[in-house]
Amino acid sequence: MVKEIERAGLPIVHVCTIVPISLTVGANRIVPAVAIPHPLGNPELSKKDEKALRRRLVLKALKALQTPVDDQTVFE
Amino acid sequence: MPYRVVHYINQFFGQVGGEDKADTKPFVKEGVIGPGMAFKGALGKDATIVATVVCGDGYFNENMDTAEQELLSMIKSYSPDILIAGPAFNAGRYGVACGAICAAVGGKLGIPVVTGMYPENPGADMYKKNCYIVKTSNSAAGMRKAVPLMAKLALKLLNGEPVASPDEDQYIARGIRKNVFKEELGAKRAVDMLIAKLGDKEFTTEYPMPAFDRVTPNPPIKDMSKAKIALVTSGGIVPKGNPDKIESSSASKYGRYSLAGVDDLTADSHETAHGGYDPVYANEDPNRVLPVDVMRDLEKEGVIGELYDHYYATVGNGTSVANAKKYAQSIAKDLIADGVQAVILTST
Amino acid sequence: MDLEIQKRVMDMADKYGPENVIVILGGAEAEAAGLAAETVSNGDPTYAGPLAGVSLGLAVYHIVEPEVKAEIDPEVYDKEVGMMEMVLDVDEICNEVKPIREQYSKY
Repeated sequence: MVKEIERAGLPIVHVCTIVPISLTVGANRIVPAVAIPHPLGNPELSKKDEKALRRRLVLKALKALQTPVDDQTVFE
Repeated sequence: MPYRVVHYINQFFGQVGGEDKADTKPFVKEGVIGPGMAFKGALGKDATIVATVVCGDGYFNENMDTAEQELLSMIKSYSPDILIAGPAFNAGRYGVACGAICAAVGGKLGIPVVTGMYPENPGADMYKKNCYIVKTSNSAAGMRKAVPLMAKLALKLLNGEPVASPDEDQYIARGIRKNVFKEELGAKRAVDMLIAKLGDKEFTTEYPMPAFDRVTPNPPIKDMSKAKIALVTSGGIVPKGNPDKIESSSASKYGRYSLAGVDDLTADSHETAHGGYDPVYANEDPNRVLPVDVMRDLEKEGVIGELYDHYYATVGNGTSVANAKKYAQSIAKDLIADGVQAVILTST
Repeated sequence: MDLEIQKRVMDMADKYGPENVIVILGGAEAEAAGLAAETVSNGDPTYAGPLAGVSLGLAVYHIVEPEVKAEIDPEVYDKEVGMMEMVLDVDEICNEVKPIREQYSKY
């Protein structure tokens, strides 16, 4: 799905847990997520800390969208 | 003396539990568990499964290096002559785990390895070069067909017999070239193929071109504070009650849902329809998969120009590549028509 | 067949004796019905559940099969199953379940 949306002309970032799959499939901008059942969260943290974590990940994703890339790039 | 086999399976076939037990740490048991029984029959007296190693799909994929090490030492301790993994059918994480453990064992222990997957399993593309992946159907209903094929290939490898072509031995082509002698001259064969092609007749290429299919990255957003960003997810976040009845596996559709006036997703307003991961955390707080709360904050703060007022969701569990492509093409069309400039796609 | 249900069928066969248990399936798809039928008679063919490698040999039927229909009050049958009977591929389901019963059911 990521590739098709990119193919249509929209810059897109894939926030996902299993980065090797995203790489193999061909996403260009990738942000590794926390875990499979909660990619943008962590139930072990307090609600406040969890939201802060989510915010950091989203900001990373937005940063990726603002970064020129020539090839597949993982934004750790 | 029969050959010694170690069998690798996940928590589900290992009889531990379903998605809720995907975090199961590796453990080993002597003898067979679950599908091992079928392999026992198929391998006959020439090979014995001496031990079965089990690992949760979630644990493996989230801790690939440690999991591999733990499993390698467990497997090594049984001095196997071969490792059989899965079959994983279309289960993505299971396929990745099977492929990875086969590659690791093959590389570090130097013994033959065999696994089985549906060709669209992400693990297949990732590991087809490193091991023999027998082609299976897309669900466990295909166990009866998969096991004998895998066992046959395993015995071939153990006996040092030459492995035939991917079509004959039913495995996913590994991209290895082998020199063979043909009766007719190459030039004649090529001309015959050309004549067939010109005459619209069928012909079989001797060298299928690899499908690269990479997409050039689009230029970045210059001014995020003015940009309209859309959220899309394959994690199955849908309004509570799943009004469009998106399937928990092999989704036949995607949904387009309004975010107008929505600042936050809650356990009362939304849920996940995805059957391929433990839904507890996503159901408690859907923002964990679709970060609407944070996006709204960033919108209010002016970090992004605007959060597009609809989001798109489907379930990525076993969804066919062809369908995923179709949905995304359609979604992209809508987004572009509505002036969206960039997309964040979340996956589990 | 769901792992939880496999366990319950196994427990029931244990408690009442396999010759006293009949399984009636209601699934809408022939392939799924076939898998379930084989699971309770010959063992889980996917080797995923407690009935992996366990052949209970139970008698198993699908609700749309004529043998079952014949045993039920036509009015009740029509009320409860009539609608599904019209919508499902009854022949396909029967052709999937019957041979399995004939091959594997012991009772």
